Amino acid sequence: MTTRPGLSREWLRKNMTTVGPIVFVIAVVVVFQMFNPFFLKYQGIISLIYSMSYFLVAACGLTFVIMTGSFDFSVPSLLKLSALLCVLYIEDLGLWVIPLALLLCVGFGFINGLILAKFNVPSFMATLGVSIVVEGIARYLSKGFLQIMDDKAFRSLSTTFIAGLPSVFYWGMGIWLISIFLALRTPFGRRTYAIGGNLIGAALSDTNVARHRIYVFMLSGFLSGLAGVLYMAQMGGGSVEMGADMAIPLFASVVAGGTALTGGVGGPHRTLLGVIIITWIQAGMNMLAIGRDIQMLTFGLIAIGMSIATIDRKRKIIK
Amino acid sequence: MKRSTGNRLIPAVIVRTLKEQPVIIALIAVFVLFSILFPDRFLSFLNFKTILRQFITLTLFAMGPSIVVVTGSLDLSYVGIWMLGGILVWLCMPVFGLLSIFVILLLGVTTGFVIGVIQTKAKIPSFILTLSLLVTYWGLTALLSGGYPRPVRGYGFITTRLIPYIPTTLLWSIPIIAAAIFIMKCTKIGTYLYAIGSNEEGAQLAGINVDKYKILAFTLSGLFTGIGSMILFQHLGGSTPVELNLNTVVWPLVAIVLGGTPLMGGSGGPQRTILGAFTFCVFYRGVYISPLHPYSVQLLVGLLLIVSIIVSARGLKSVTIT
Repeated sequence: MTTRPGLSREWLRKNMTTVGPIVFVIAVVVVFQMFNPFFLKYQGIISLIYSMSYFLVAACGLTFVIMTGSFDFSVPSLLKLSALLCVLYIEDLGLWVIPLALLLCVGFGFINGLILAKFNVPSFMATLGVSIVVEGIARYLSKGFLQIMDDKAFRSLSTTFIAGLPSVFYWGMGIWLISIFLALRTPFGRRTYAIGGNLIGAALSDTNVARHRIYVFMLSGFLSGLAGVLYMAQMGGGSVEMGADMAIPLFASVVAGGTALTGGVGGPHRTLLGVIIITWIQAGMNMLAIGRDIQMLTFGLIAIGMSIATIDRKRKIIK
Repeated sequence: MKRSTGNRLIPAVIVRTLKEQPVIIALIAVFVLFSILFPDRFLSFLNFKTILRQFITLTLFAMGPSIVVVTGSLDLSYVGIWMLGGILVWLCMPVFGLLSIFVILLLGVTTGFVIGVIQTKAKIPSFILTLSLLVTYWGLTALLSGGYPRPVRGYGFITTRLIPYIPTTLLWSIPIIAAAIFIMKCTKIGTYLYAIGSNEEGAQLAGINVDKYKILAFTLSGLFTGIGSMILFQHLGGSTPVELNLNTVVWPLVAIVLGGTPLMGGSGGPQRTILGAFTFCVFYRGVYISPLHPYSVQLLVGLLLIVSIIVSARGLKSVTIT
């Protein structure tokens, strides 16, 4: 037998993107447990699960986009649109409103991908434009009022307790597992990694790059829409202001998990840890009544720090 | 474009200008359209004054970032500098008196320099770096201000009317705009920045210190944003908001892209941003006074952004874009 690698410095450097987030999660739990003994009690855990599950669904979609080396700015807007569509039209359409909202979000994802892949527009700019349009639609439909969801069947989607945990947790975990399968075991996932790793190489090896990028953005739109449905079922109401400051926490959670902005590495299996880091910090701060200002400050700094830590500097210069 | 330059009716110079700057056609079209639709309200004196005021705001915000966009990067930190700067002025007021307005300038230059260093050394995409920084600054603003806008008195002289009918801030902004155009068009720095924007590796091979000039571009952007924010601080009421509004972040971007500076860099620049900002203001005011629902204005602005980025990205077929 050869000598075991052990916790040598070499091993640590190779696995930094795996070890780092785990250490970070433990640190978050320990720190909040010290300040707040209720953090890991049953009620605390339920609140942590509520805050992370819908977020995980949205973050999985964004992970696929970041894996291809692009960025999707429209995730929070699509989440908001689908949540508002559900609450506004549930009385007219019943539960059929859910597929309608998801379809619309997939449509906007298609537009995102089309602008990026066919018209050669940088993805953050294309999705920024689309997100403003979506924001405008949401504002126009809701007229800026607070909307309350009082449909029992719809709300049970997220709030039924199975084995002591709310059903939104199982939705989040289910979507997460499907995303992992999609990324690691299917041609779709392999193409995603290939495009992120080397776009020109992927195009030369007979991948229809434009079409695949559109698919990825459609997936991201679908998952943002689903996250919106779960969010509305969990919260039971909301106005057009919800999700306004989600873009940076979402991005930070994907990057904190170890999916680099350059694309081609990482994946949805890593995103879970990143989501736990970000949403548990958020929930922990909420429990301690720390305001949104300090939360935003923290997430901005985490986003910058984590992008510096994960990015591969040997790759071609990115703008 | 079937019309050849040999057409006698339209001089060649005009045809060439229109080909290079299609935004002029858009400006005339928008202007004529709204003049016909709402002759008394759109062509009123009050409306022109409002357009001019809005134009100043937009131009001063967009001037710095358009220098960065020329190099192919993006700088979204301007609103953060303005918001945090306003609060810092309020904090410094008891100590430094009227001199505390220069805190904004200092903040702008420092921010630009730091962004430049991080972007060139750590190679993070600039848009995500500056966006994260913007959110950080917003959190800092809300933290320092305690959640209330903090008005500061004593800078009324910035907006005192010197010439009737013309906002004094317009007079202030003319030298700033001129300086930005001068740097980009008449100095070595400008030439190098255009070179970096059109082909970064080529510029590196030609012996340009790319990292140094990129840091310089971000610092210049911070400097112009800082100077602009000093004027805008008083122009927009002597206090800054403590809530981040996505619109204030996006409108200067629309102005830059509408003016015809492609986001991949290499051409365009501050002189085009002026036209873009003016077109946007005319368009916005036109939609604003129309009977459309106010909420649909945002929708139209988004559509305008999408259309203008698609138009400005034409001819970039060979470039791979993430």
